Amino acid sequence: MEILYAQRCLGCHGTSGRGDGPVTSALPVRVPDFHDTVKAKNVVQIRKVIKDGKGIMPAFSPALTNSEVQDMVRMVRVVSQQGREIAWWEKFEPLVWAHCSVPWEFVLGYDQPPQEKGP
Amino acid sequence: MKKIFVSSVVWVVALLVGALTLASSHEPKHPVAEKAAPRRQVQVPIKDFSLTDHTGTPFRFSSMRGKVVLVAFVYTTCPDVCPLITASMQSVQRSLNGRERESVRFLSITTDPEIDSPDILKSYAGRYEVDLSNWSFLTGDLKTLQPVWKAFGVKVERKARGLVNHTALTALIDGGGTMRFAYFGASPDPQKVLQDIRALLARP
Repeated sequence: MEILYAQRCLGCHGTSGRGDGPVTSALPVRVPDFHDTVKAKNVVQIRKVIKDGKGIMPAFSPALTNSEVQDMVRMVRVVSQQGREIAWWEKFEPLVWAHCSVPWEFVLGYDQPPQEKGP
Repeated sequence: MKKIFVSSVVWVVALLVGALTLASSHEPKHPVAEKAAPRRQVQVPIKDFSLTDHTGTPFRFSSMRGKVVLVAFVYTTCPDVCPLITASMQSVQRSLNGRERESVRFLSITTDPEIDSPDILKSYAGRYEVDLSNWSFLTGDLKTLQPVWKAFGVKVERKARGLVNHTALTALIDGGGTMRFAYFGASPDPQKVLQDIRALLARP
């Protein structure tokens, strides 16, 4: 349950669900605060957002089982009520940053990438 | 004397506010998402390939000849970097004038064919409210996609269902099918990409 949140939610929603995760500074939209959204929604509504996505939030239904979606619902409710301390987050660090960080494979003959030049 | 006292108080308050801000900013940092994507000038011819677009229609890369093409590698359930890349491309798309739009195409190629069917790609584009008139979201089976990823220098590692670690590449292709600019990481700077697109469009 916690791993799911760490892997798939924390980047945007943050450790306390306030929508202040590490990715948000680069996002073109404001991430809602769970204290305004999750607290005001019932389980069915929360599940729908997780499954179908909303705006640029991914739709997780193709990737997660119903049971995992249910765990995610539970976790976002916990986070919206209690938040989490940084110590909790730290144990998941390698998992959280496992995405989209593979360096360019230099299969293209660029052992040393060329320096930036004008067009 | 009064002036010095007031000035000292202002400095002390400023230092306290700064210290409190630092102490409270304990949110984790993201090593990729927080940096603007570095840009490199390259010269990599891309061979023709065939994939399937978000409508289920076959797509050939060679059909893009004569157009400047902005290509990104993303997957729809990515929770951090890919949304930034797609949002950045969308910003570029919206900044093009009418004449430029005729000569520029956008491609988002999935790094997760296990999940990203044409229908799922179509929903993804819909959530972003992307203008699909010059933007295709592409998928295929793993065997078809692997050589495409490799041609662009993109490495893909499946971590779990719907969780993929991959090279965060956005590439700009000229009208002859050669990769000319590569932007690595999240948030390619839309202004720089626009500048590069316009430079390529200006060439005979």
